[in-house]
This record gives sequence, C-alpha cells and structure tokens, in this order.
Amino acid sequence: MKGSLAWVGLLARLVTGGVWIVAGALKITEPDASIAAVRAYQLLPSSVAEAVGIALPGLEVVVGLALVLGVLARGAAALSSLLFVAFIIGIASVWARGIEIDCGCFGGGGADPGASSAYPWEIARDVALLAASLLVAWLPRTRLALDSLLFVPRAAGAAEGDGS
Amino acid sequence: MSDKSKANARAEKAAAERAAQAKREARRRWLTIGGVALAMALIIGGAITISLLQKNKNDDKLAAAASGRSDYGVTIGEESAPHKVVIYEDFLCPYCGELEKQTREDLAQLAADGKVFVEYRPFDLLSQLGDYPIRATSAFSVVLDASGPAVAKKFHDLLYENQPSESDPGSVTNDDLVERAVEAGAKESDVADAIRNVSNKDWVAKATSEAKAAGVNGTPTIILDGKVFTDGRTIDEQAENLIAALD
Repeated sequence: MKGSLAWVGLLARLVTGGVWIVAGALKITEPDASIAAVRAYQLLPSSVAEAVGIALPGLEVVVGLALVLGVLARGAAALSSLLFVAFIIGIASVWARGIEIDCGCFGGGGADPGASSAYPWEIARDVALLAASLLVAWLPRTRLALDSLLFVPRAAGAAEGDGS
Repeated sequence: MSDKSKANARAEKAAAERAAQAKREARRRWLTIGGVALAMALIIGGAITISLLQKNKNDDKLAAAASGRSDYGVTIGEESAPHKVVIYEDFLCPYCGELEKQTREDLAQLAADGKVFVEYRPFDLLSQLGDYPIRATSAFSVVLDASGPAVAKKFHDLLYENQPSESDPGSVTNDDLVERAVEAGAKESDVADAIRNVSNKDWVAKATSEAKAAGVNGTPTIILDGKVFTDGRTIDEQAENLIAALD
C-alpha cells in the first residue's frame, strides 16, 4: 500500500509540477500581460499587483521544477498548495463579484465576456491540483525523487530520528 | 576495575564519534538545503530579471508612441499644457465606457483650464466579439475627416454613452451610428453613406496596427506623461486617481 502511494505521489508531482512549469514559462516573457491578469482580479493595490505579476511566473517555474525533479518536494508541494488555495479564492471572488475575466492561468488574462462559464471548471481543476499537491506534501517520500539522493538516510544509529 | 574503565572510555569514544558523525550529517544536510534554495533563488531572480527587462522595453516603446501626436486620434486642450494623457480605447470595451463616464467631464474641464492635453486613440481590440469596434471606429474617422475634431470628440462621447454590451455588439446599427454623428453636429449628407458602408476600414486597420506596434494589448491603456498609468484597484479608482494626479 505504502509503495503504491509513493508511485501515486510521483504522478502527482509530475502532473502538478508540469502544470506549474508551463504556466510560469508562458508568462515570464509577457510581463505586461501577467501584470494585467493579476490586476483584472481587482483584489490587490496597483503596485502590489505589479510585483505579483512580475514575481509569480518565476516562482511558478521553480515550484514546478522542484516538484518534477523531487527536490525539497514536500516544501515545494506545501507552497504549491498555498498558491492553489490563493488561486481558488481569486477565481471564486471574481465569480462572486460578477467580474468576467480570463483567469490568466496560462498567460493572457484581462476582461473576457462570458468567462464566468469557465469558472466552475477552473476551480475544479485547481482543487484537483491542490489535492495532488497536498498528497505530495503529506507523503514522506515519493518515487524517483532527487531528494532520495541528496538526503541519504542517516547512518544506522541516527536513522530512527530521520522522519522525513 | 581497569577493564571497566577501559570499557567506559571506549563507550565514551564511540559516543563522541557518533555525535561528531551526526553533526557532520546535519551540516551536510543544511548545506544541501542551502544549495538547493540558492539555485531556486537564482532561477526566480533570473525570471524576474527577464520580465523586468521585457517590461522596460515595452514601457519605452509605449512612451515613445505616446510622446508624439497620432494620426489616429482626437485631442482636447492645448499641447503646451503641463500634463499629457493618451488613452487607447476600444468603443466596445466596457471598462473604457466606465473610464469615459468617470473622467470625461473632469478631463474636459482640466483641458479647458489648460492643465492637460488629452489624446483619445480609438482602435479595434475586440472585433472578435462582433464587428462593432470596426464599424464604430470607422464612423469615428469618417466624422473626424468630414466634420473636424470637435464634432468627432462629441461623437466619440455619444458612442460611449450609448455603448452596446459586449454580448450583443450588433444592437447598435450603422443607422444608429449615423444618427449619433448627426446629433454630434455632423452634416448627414457628409457622413451617412461612408458610415453605412464602413468605408474607413483601412483607417481602423492602421490605427490598430499603430496601437499594437506601440505594445498596447489591452484597453483602456492610459499613458500619463509618458508612463502607463495604472494607479488604482478598480477602473473607478483609476479614474479618480488620474483626475487627482492632474489637478
């Protein structure tokens, strides 16, 4: 049971990490669109929206790389979970306020009439990815993670203390 | 007794070694974590640098485009005013309509007081939703050509006051556009045919490619004294802050 969960964890890492890498990479070279996408949520003051629009794509790529490679996987998965919670709140809030925008999840963004029909599906997608992230954060170790090479279990005497 | 003390000494030594070993392990662990974190920080920093460089390039391009007069716009106020505002807009875009509603009177007053020079640059951003942006912008250019900037500005205002919704852009017909042009002060015989036939599509295409070349990819894009103006969480806040910045 434990062994197969570790494989499921690998799958969760690859899927979630892959989504992050694509989402981030598409935005790095389009800073204005990225800022506009953040701004379209009408949640953050202008200067904060600008900082988020500039910094978020890089953060997404790093979280994605860490998950795919399995480096500090639990930490990356925890951060990934937080980001998904934030996105779910963001989409739910524009939905509740009746603002119709492209979520800007994979580049693009801004006003988009008729976008509200996509909100339920976008939230469902983010909830699924949130669940995958939580699984990785919860599992001590998943398969084929670089962590297994970087952090070899300690010498026999200390092995019991090594919980992670 | 001596055996016992020897055994004790061995045990102590072994314990000390284990402690030292554990210490080395912990050190290695933290160094690894530090190394990985450093690599991550470098990647994030690199990504931010790329984004900022790109953004600076875009900002410069937009500033250059906003510094001169466009052939595809209408202005109010004197060019010698201390502030210059350029507004790229689409006649169908609801936020443009909202910005118009919130700023029109104040901008007109500020322009009349010599405090600002405003250039409205309409172009087609949203024609994938329907041909209204093309029809309206073409009509705008017809009125501008035939009846001059004052009438064109009034026509522009009327278009926003009677803006169709994005979900039904066809609800404002070409006949409606003619009616509004006449209401703005154009002579019907001067503009009616050209508006009905959408004969200035070429002008619209050129205005649009000029806006795109300047890097405008959303509306409204407001440029205040060469800098993109985005101060405010909502469009209403932005409108308020823009007026405050000019007064």
